[in-house]
Amino acid sequence: MSTIPPDTDEGDEAGLLAEIDQLLDSPVHHANPLRAPLARLLALHRQQNERLLRLIHLSDGYHELGRLRSSTLSQRFEHHLRRLEKLARISDRYQDQLRSLNAALLQSSLKDPLTELGNRRYLMERLHDEDAASTTAPAAYCLAILDVDHFKRINDGWGHDMGDATLKHIADALRGAIRHSDFVGRWGGEEFLLIFPATELADAFQITERVRQAIGAISIAHRLGPVTVSASIGLTRQIAGERFAAALDRADSALLRAKRDGRDRTVIG
Amino acid sequence: MNASFTLPGTQTTPTITADWDLGLLQMSGDSYPENSFDFFTSTLDWVESYLRQENRPLRLELRLVYMNTSSVKVMMDIFDLLEEAHREGRDVGVDWFFDSRNERVELLAEEFREDCTFPFRISAET
Repeated sequence: MSTIPPDTDEGDEAGLLAEIDQLLDSPVHHANPLRAPLARLLALHRQQNERLLRLIHLSDGYHELGRLRSSTLSQRFEHHLRRLEKLARISDRYQDQLRSLNAALLQSSLKDPLTELGNRRYLMERLHDEDAASTTAPAAYCLAILDVDHFKRINDGWGHDMGDATLKHIADALRGAIRHSDFVGRWGGEEFLLIFPATELADAFQITERVRQAIGAISIAHRLGPVTVSASIGLTRQIAGERFAAALDRADSALLRAKRDGRDRTVIG
Repeated sequence: MNASFTLPGTQTTPTITADWDLGLLQMSGDSYPENSFDFFTSTLDWVESYLRQENRPLRLELRLVYMNTSSVKVMMDIFDLLEEAHREGRDVGVDWFFDSRNERVELLAEEFREDCTFPFRISAET
């Protein structure tokens, strides 16, 4: 009979059990009083062993199930996260698209398509801005209304294309003559409005004279001879506390005087 | 729901034509309905039924321009259905046409195409 080593493995256990079975079966030991209790112990051992294996098996099963479930959950989570990111990305793109469209529309809604100067809406916004600024800062602004002299003659005599070309040349002259801080736009027809923020009358007058000279220098070639043009300007300075409408009226009256006095001049009102 | 249908477009919803016999679903225009999930229910149902009941190819022809976020979500759901069908060996495909003057739509269509393994063509139209 062999002794059992303390750390017997499965192979040793199977060998030992087989050896005990053999001893129990042997007729030599039938009369041995230890035989019956040993046989019962062996049966009990086998039963417990089987239970243990079943338990381990069940436990492994649950463990695997949990692992599977959590990995499926994390896969699903990853999938949804990816989708959400994609949705946000696409949605952002659409929003960007709308924003730039909006900006382009705003730009075109403030621009005169012929001269590419600001239009009347643009000028109104600037005038409101100037009014708002003058309530906090004491510096007054100057306004000038410019009207092309005898524009109807250009349209009637040379045609509307020449009229349009003249307006474009005038727009160029205006852009070239004003300062960076000034605003100019097409007020309507052959009328232009100049805004000089925080400017003394004398300085604004210098600029309108520069504008008038630049317009006087325009000469557009035509087969019947070059087309030249001049402009009359009514200039005024905002009086402390007044809104732009009052200043505009004064500039308009000054323009009328400039026309009456013989055109091609700036009159201060 | 194995019938063909046409939803005429409005300012906020695309024109949708579903032709069961041709196996063709067409959508064009802008899409920003008040409730996109309600609006697209019939279309989603149609795609699901077609894929379940038929074994013929399914083609989507898209000319969509602007979509709000919930419409984008619905489109992704439809593409998911196509992806699933494609993995099961079905013949499905998307043709996304964009106005050649609007390249932004092309970039958007490319974003949609990402992760899709079924045929997804993006072409310019003049």
